[in-house]
Amino acid sequence: MIKAATNNSPSGELWIKNENDIVYARGAVREAAIQLGFGQTDVTRIVTAASELARNTFKYAGEGVIRWGRVETGSRMGLQLQFVDRGPGIQDIDLAMQDGFSTSGGLGKGLSGSKRLMDDFEIESTAGHGTTVTLTKWRANW
Amino acid sequence: MNTQTNLPGSADQSPHPSEQDGITRELLQLLVDNLRDYAIILLDPKGCVLTWNNAAQRLKGWTAEEIIGQHFSLFYPTEDAQSGKTDMELAAATREGRFEDEGWRVRKDGTRFWANVVITALRDKDGKLHGFGKVTRDLSERRLAEEKIKKQAQEIFEMAVVPVVQIWDGVVLVPLIGTLDSQRTEQLMERLLQRVAEAGSSVALLDITGVPTIDTQTAQHLIETISAVRLMGADVVLTGVRPSIAQTLVHLGIDLSSVTTRSSLASGLRMALDLLKVSVRSTVSEQ
Amino acid sequence: MDRKPGNNNISVIRVRDVLIVTMPPEPDDSVINALQESVLNAMERHESQAVLLDISSVEIFDSFFARTVSETAQMVRVMGGRTIIVGMRPAVAITATQIGLALGNVETALNVDRAFDLAATRPKPEKHDKSSHE
Repeated sequence: MIKAATNNSPSGELWIKNENDIVYARGAVREAAIQLGFGQTDVTRIVTAASELARNTFKYAGEGVIRWGRVETGSRMGLQLQFVDRGPGIQDIDLAMQDGFSTSGGLGKGLSGSKRLMDDFEIESTAGHGTTVTLTKWRANW
Repeated sequence: MNTQTNLPGSADQSPHPSEQDGITRELLQLLVDNLRDYAIILLDPKGCVLTWNNAAQRLKGWTAEEIIGQHFSLFYPTEDAQSGKTDMELAAATREGRFEDEGWRVRKDGTRFWANVVITALRDKDGKLHGFGKVTRDLSERRLAEEKIKKQAQEIFEMAVVPVVQIWDGVVLVPLIGTLDSQRTEQLMERLLQRVAEAGSSVALLDITGVPTIDTQTAQHLIETISAVRLMGADVVLTGVRPSIAQTLVHLGIDLSSVTTRSSLASGLRMALDLLKVSVRSTVSEQ
Repeated sequence: MDRKPGNNNISVIRVRDVLIVTMPPEPDDSVINALQESVLNAMERHESQAVLLDISSVEIFDSFFARTVSETAQMVRVMGGRTIIVGMRPAVAITATQIGLALGNVETALNVDRAFDLAATRPKPEKHDKSSHE
């Protein structure tokens, strides 16, 4: 279920259980990014990053949840995305973050690409327990 | 909704309100209840909420039951609440009779809105302070309008700063002047690509005659811009590469082997026209 | 025409010795997976010399999409054809460059007209990987 977004505080949560959910995730994140006033290129970046990680979640862990919401520090405002799964986890994060790395065909650029597209990037993963990826894009001119 | 009140005893005990006064009071109450754009509330001398109205609930989120008795610093962002801003405001209102401010306020759900706030000290005939009236107005719309104007001004500025000029059928020229930082490069990329798409330009001349120095980051940005233009299906010729820049690029180890460069704009233009001719010529010969 | 263009369908049209393959605006994974088969089947049937992949409606081009396109282009090459990506949007081009997507075996064109011009010329020699990140 997607939580309804309010005008100044687009936020929500979405379970990823099948391939279609990747599409929903893109749509929901796009809505949020637009509501927060990001320009077209940044919206594309954010949605692309979300697409990469939503697919990673589905392909590696089978299922997981994506949460998104507005974040604000004293002087900055941005959109934060978080991908959480209880999948197999990543054995070697550094290796996984290397460009082009892939253990299951075709997903090598997902993590490193998303990191490039967003501003802040944090990943926690324990083998056998799951993975949490948190990314933030800050608004320029706010 | 009926506004709940918690007045500490009526200030005016005599004479008893006549029927007319009663009706007027009711009308006044109706006004406060139904006013849509102004949150009108009463605070006690310490700043705790005494009354609430519909607009206040709509604007700030709390219901009367939830908020009456709480301190009004709840409405402020944490940094303001902690810095003693609310005490300062009450003190100013006490001193001057009123205090007006524009700033961020916080709703029950934590979101912020830009507000205009007037706090009025309420005294009886003897000058005794009974509390404060607080009128809050949501200026978010105005702020949005201001942001929009700022954005438009920014766009106009960007156009002046990163000009993209169509100089020939299928050729655009970007005469860069000054240094390229991350933000400018972002603007450059967006404008250039947009123009290339709109004008259907096959070739973009990126002229850096007016770029005094080039560092690794700027060079990387240029290369990214060129890659992006190529991905779209157009070509880029980097022109105006002066000897000093050429030296810097080599010293920095920047690989421009995949980039077509020309030292002068003129030769760059010639190159561009050649590139255009090639596609036309081949189509003709194929017939 | 091999397939009617619908909301989420790939349309494949043959014009002389060229295939025009048009992607829908928001292709999900199943559509992207279908791309390869559609293209190769059409290549087999028509023996086209070039595949024009029109992505001018596409707003999100992630690494999965890119990889599928790249693989498909390799297969098209093996079957004797060229692949030309047509109409990549500015925001997509910027994002793809930033990720460092390697499209390898494909050429690009601004629109279908230019793509036809390009297809009529001799193919350029093998290009290096387009990725520009060290």
